[in-house]
Amino acid sequence: MVVKGSMIAAPNSNTHRKNLIPAIGYGAVICLLACLPLIFKSPYILHLFILTLIYIIAAASMRFIMTSGQIPLAHAAFLGLGAYVSAVLSKHVGLSPWLALIIAALVSMCVGIAISFPFARLKAFYYAMISLFFGVGLLQGIESLGKLTGGLAGITSIPTLFSTGSKVPYYYVFLALTIISLAILYRFESCRIGWNLKAIDQSYLVSSSVGISEVKYRVIAVAIGCFFVGLAGGMYANYNVTISPSSFDTTAKLWMIIYVAIGGTNDFAGPIIGTAVLFLIPQYFSGLKQYTPFVSAAVLFAVIFAFRDGLVSIPRLIRTRYQRKKVKVQTDDS
Amino acid sequence: MPEATILLIIASIVNALVLSSMYILLALGFTFLFNIMGILNFAHGAIYMIGAYICFFLATAVGMNQWLAMLIAVAAVGLFGIFMERFAFRPFFGNINQIIVVCIGIITVLENGVSVSQGFIVQVTPPFVQGIFRVGIVSISWERVVIFLIGISLLVLVLLFINKTKQGLQMRAVAQDLEGAVLQGINVHFVSALACVIACALAALAGSLMGSYLSLTPYMGQDIMIKVLEILVLGGIGSINGVLFAGLIVGTLDAVLPIMVSGTATQAIMMLIIIIILLFKPQGLFGKEVRG
Amino acid sequence: MILEISGLTKNFGGLAAVSGMNITVNDGEVLGLIGPNGAGKSTLFNLITGVIQPTKGTVVFKGKDITGKRPHVIAELGIGRTFQLNPLFPNFTVLQNVISSFQIRPRSNLFDTFFNTPVYRKNEAYILEQSLEILQLVGLYKVRNELAKNQPHGYQKMLGVARALAIKPELLLLDEPIAGMNPDEIDNTIEAIKRTSQLGVTIILVEHNMKILEICNRVVVINFGQKIVEGTPQEIKENPEVIKAYLGSGHDTQH
Repeated sequence: MVVKGSMIAAPNSNTHRKNLIPAIGYGAVICLLACLPLIFKSPYILHLFILTLIYIIAAASMRFIMTSGQIPLAHAAFLGLGAYVSAVLSKHVGLSPWLALIIAALVSMCVGIAISFPFARLKAFYYAMISLFFGVGLLQGIESLGKLTGGLAGITSIPTLFSTGSKVPYYYVFLALTIISLAILYRFESCRIGWNLKAIDQSYLVSSSVGISEVKYRVIAVAIGCFFVGLAGGMYANYNVTISPSSFDTTAKLWMIIYVAIGGTNDFAGPIIGTAVLFLIPQYFSGLKQYTPFVSAAVLFAVIFAFRDGLVSIPRLIRTRYQRKKVKVQTDDS
Repeated sequence: MPEATILLIIASIVNALVLSSMYILLALGFTFLFNIMGILNFAHGAIYMIGAYICFFLATAVGMNQWLAMLIAVAAVGLFGIFMERFAFRPFFGNINQIIVVCIGIITVLENGVSVSQGFIVQVTPPFVQGIFRVGIVSISWERVVIFLIGISLLVLVLLFINKTKQGLQMRAVAQDLEGAVLQGINVHFVSALACVIACALAALAGSLMGSYLSLTPYMGQDIMIKVLEILVLGGIGSINGVLFAGLIVGTLDAVLPIMVSGTATQAIMMLIIIIILLFKPQGLFGKEVRG
Repeated sequence: MILEISGLTKNFGGLAAVSGMNITVNDGEVLGLIGPNGAGKSTLFNLITGVIQPTKGTVVFKGKDITGKRPHVIAELGIGRTFQLNPLFPNFTVLQNVISSFQIRPRSNLFDTFFNTPVYRKNEAYILEQSLEILQLVGLYKVRNELAKNQPHGYQKMLGVARALAIKPELLLLDEPIAGMNPDEIDNTIEAIKRTSQLGVTIILVEHNMKILEICNRVVVINFGQKIVEGTPQEIKENPEVIKAYLGSGHDTQH
């Protein structure tokens, strides 16, 4: 894994040009995304994009936790937690959906801290298992609180963020939220906090010997990660109007892992690309109905066998191949 | 003590023994894969499920005798184990992220294959053994006895295999020190494949039996996978003794809890119990140092 | 007296890795801790820095009891160390390794860090400058942008020292700093250690290479987890017990 360093880039004359190109690129992408509803008028396609944005936040937050070496296997359960908290607060308690959204994120963060702190001293594997068990238990617990959460049937008629029936405002607001969330996550990762997370991932002995508290930073990673996935869950609830345990079940948990892993765990853009590819491509084949998961699996296998480091490694592979060809041509000429 | 209570207790004990024996077989196979190949085979539950469904299908749609169906299921899944080791595990050896991805892919294909062809309705394989065994006021179905006996015998067989045979010795060597084993001339690929076959065969066997004892759904693999991981973590990763004891505990809890609490809460309570135990003894019953 | 170890004992099962150890370390000195393999030297370091918990005994640093405190707390208090097997941050570059080690002085708070305030930027610039200086001190400046895991063994050990220096320790524990190095690297390392000592850092050196004795003010010899003898390097070299401990264990002491 090569870790890029914005913290340490020594300024030289190329830096300004280097910073300009990605900036223009991101600007272009954002403009394109902003124009999307003008190109695709179909509510169904907007619906897909809205879901993609929600899952991107969830996947990126999951990857953020993974930079510290922990694997939050039940991250989707926190998505469910955020969704249910927001749903209950906005429907039964009568809070404004916007407020419920924020509270859902905060609750998710606190629960994440509570579950990670007692186990933060153990090998990362244990947090993965605890996370898994907790996730299963959490959903079962949510189900069993039938009166509050509607049990298996879930909650319906959740107050929505906008009263118009159109999906367009949701798209723009969620796009903004996604961009903000990603920007925040990116900032955390590229400042000293993010570096410390990567440090404790690489060596407990070394990081503790220079004063990095493993417990503190693991909990920080989980807190931030859970905040954003809780936010995504709330967004889902107040957009989708209905939620039920089956939206957050084991299959959902498994696929969230895929979005991160297939995109590439070592790159910030990984979960973004992974989610987009693995969520949207099978949707194209949604006409196959119950056979759609096979398409997802096929894409999964194709990617994992072809690109070990995930989809984000494709540009690098192409560049390496191209450079090799260039060298070959040069040596041929001489 | 009222008769009903005695019967309830005995029924629970029997249930606990049956469940424990099956869980232990599964967890044992999983632990082999972990010890020998360093792989957490998340698809283990799906293997269990597919074994169950193959047996079910052969026994019902094809009308085969259940025992024969089970043997074929075990053989087929065992062969699949070789395939898995070669194409799913070996290419990604050492990289946990990629192994997880591949396992999820396998799970998706298997679960969806089953749900598409068999549907989501709960099915049951016809019982392997009919009849009830009576002693005094106690009556236990023969099937339970047989399943438990099969579980125990296989457990003993596997443990004997590991400890007494040449291949078992090789497996233990690879588990302890991969490089050393290679230098000794042990064919690690063969050992890994063997471990995979055994693990998958055990899973298929347990699945076939449980398909009759409990029931079948396409997602039964996920539930059982959680149990296997619970056993693993409770018992201490990689410890065979741990698997035995933790398997017994989990099986007993599974048999006893549903009597005391409603269905959905059972899982939640189990999780709570396990998390609390781990708070005090994070390395599990027989595990080693876990700090860092 | 900057460090005082009293009655320090660590039992692993039935085996006493360190037993009833009493050592005092004076401000600014270079103390050598020598003994054959398995004498308990690394265990002693691990006990001091909190990586393992002692069975009995106390460790007092600058008058404060630090027995059994967690490693990162000990680092904050001003004790730095290197490790025998020399773990690093393998996927960071050499420079990033050192920069990541500047956790304590200066320390930016969460607000400044996240919002990239001038305070944070000033701290990071200072850290960068200090890191480059340290790399020059240990002679790794030219490979600063290379990945740490790709460096040859000697450079990696130097990187370990560089990292320990980043926390501006008052007490530096060096665990076999010259093991596995070639003669040039050994000379460089010894120079670096001398210069660090001149800056006022107290140093405890663990080695089983007798050559290190020349830079120590005092030497403590341990074997089987116990202190055998202590004195000046000259006294130690001529001490019959020490010679027996080394020749008796059959292991070579010269490079």
